[in-house]
Amino acid sequence: MLELIEAALSRPNLVAFVLLLLWGLYITITHHNYVKKLVGLYIVQTSVIFFLVTTGAKEGATVPVILSGVEAPGAGDYVNPLPQVLTLTAIVVQIATLGVSLGLVSRIYRSFGSLDEDEVLEKLG
Amino acid sequence: MTEHLPALVFLTPLATAISMPVAGHRHPAVCRPLALVAICCMTVLSVASLWSVSVHGEIRYSFSGWLPPIGIEWLADSLAATMVTAVSGLGVLCLLFADGLGDRPLGGRAVPYYTMVLLLVAGLSGAIYAGDLFNIFVFLEVVSLSAYALVAVPGGRALVSAFRYLLMGALGTAFYLLGVGYFYAATGALNIADLSQRLPGLLDSKAVMGGLIFMFIGLAIKMALMPLHGWLPDAYSDAPASTVPLLAGLVTKISLLVWARILYWVMRPSAEGGTLTIFALVTTFGILAAVAGACLALRQRELKRMFAYGGISHVGLVLIGVGQANETGLAGAMYYLLNDAVMQCSLFVLAGFLALRYGASTLDELGRAHVRNPWAIVTFVAVGLGMVGLPPTGGFFGKLRILLGALEADNNIAAAAIVLTTLITLGYFAQVFEKLVRAGTESASARQPETPWPLRTTMAALVAAIVGLGIWNDHVVALLVDATAPLGI
Repeated sequence: MLELIEAALSRPNLVAFVLLLLWGLYITITHHNYVKKLVGLYIVQTSVIFFLVTTGAKEGATVPVILSGVEAPGAGDYVNPLPQVLTLTAIVVQIATLGVSLGLVSRIYRSFGSLDEDEVLEKLG
Repeated sequence: MTEHLPALVFLTPLATAISMPVAGHRHPAVCRPLALVAICCMTVLSVASLWSVSVHGEIRYSFSGWLPPIGIEWLADSLAATMVTAVSGLGVLCLLFADGLGDRPLGGRAVPYYTMVLLLVAGLSGAIYAGDLFNIFVFLEVVSLSAYALVAVPGGRALVSAFRYLLMGALGTAFYLLGVGYFYAATGALNIADLSQRLPGLLDSKAVMGGLIFMFIGLAIKMALMPLHGWLPDAYSDAPASTVPLLAGLVTKISLLVWARILYWVMRPSAEGGTLTIFALVTTFGILAAVAGACLALRQRELKRMFAYGGISHVGLVLIGVGQANETGLAGAMYYLLNDAVMQCSLFVLAGFLALRYGASTLDELGRAHVRNPWAIVTFVAVGLGMVGLPPTGGFFGKLRILLGALEADNNIAAAAIVLTTLITLGYFAQVFEKLVRAGTESASARQPETPWPLRTTMAALVAAIVGLGIWNDHVVALLVDATAPLGI
């Protein structure tokens, strides 16, 4: 048990990722307001993106741009750029999802006059 | 020229989708023919690529000449080419069906509607061809976003179903992406061919196993695997009748295909690490979904919900085949996947037709409707034979091959589950059939609406596909085995 805690504390990025993921899932599942559900979903997606970014990070490394004049650049001196590229695409996907979901929520509000899941289900009968 | 076919197949619907708002801005009436022409072109191109792949072997397409692992690679083996042909062919039929059904007019919303349909089809072909896990994620999301929007088209109740579908689906893609992140952290690769070389030796690692499980959870939500199927029946019964065949036939199947790709092309069955446990897990979930889905279908009184649960049970059957870790099971599962796409499409074509023409959306209404339409009855008989699994339909040969795969792997419980599912499926199809053909007390001369030609064409083509896949099952399976042969399982 102690080893597990020690292993977790040596990787604070993973602890933060797990907390964010669980927090987002909790909000999505427990809240009855559609917008709050979306906030939870957004936190879940952000936590995954956060995890992706941290896999590329290195201590003491710099941006992956090789300056002229540097001979034989070492891989250890630069942050891995690929996770950041993946992250960019994932953020675009996240924004698209958010756009579609907000569109749906606004149409639900216009049709039912409420954002609360229980009230909407009551009106549906 | 032929090596560019996979890219052209994908770009045809995508380019049309992007130009749709411009073309349909003044005259929304051009949207429907434009979409139909685009998907017809796509079908011709995909048939050409299937021919090219079966003659010259698989095509590995690198975008702008950047070779993998740096560039983006598309893998068009005979499995992908067959599936894309099925996707585009069913796309044409679904648009024809929408044409003949004369569903509620879309009015000014025709432009976004057809844009979404084309994006859906483009995303499906992209997800089939994509040669790396991250691009699969992107295309899955393109497919899902179009599907959410299409479910919501009628408004009202459908909005709530679409929102639930979106919440579940977005969580699913988030989990899938997380799994991809784990794989990347463990191996430093995303390309399928690259990963399959780096993974042996790493399969004991918790990161790889964790990633695999996260991907499975994510894809299980998208394929509506039994405990995670909650979104599907509502979404399919509320979505517009002209759209459901497209969603039911294609969207859930794509996640199944991706999962098979990950299990066999990325990971490959071996005795190393927890690999066999994963395959056993997949089989167990498949058995649960097949039997429980069929039991739930038996309880439904509403046609669309019954067919939706039937689809859930068939997802389980395909997973049983995938989980056997042998070539017979895998080829059988992929062949059954193809059949299931056609059968689900036909079932919802029928359900939409009966609901809009005869006002029959439940079993009791169907019993009172006195359907005397030969096209609908013939289609129902064909698809019923296919779903139950009787020759000469493709459903029979698919189930037979999955069963043989299960017996080859000495998995008697899975074999028993397949037989049990078949019996329960027979139970609920007998119910529908009894209601459909029951002799009415009124004379049969009651007003029977004329069936327009697009509907007749759709139904005839679907019946031909169901029977044709069965009659030429050897050829189709040989094509699919071509794709699995290099795996050496």
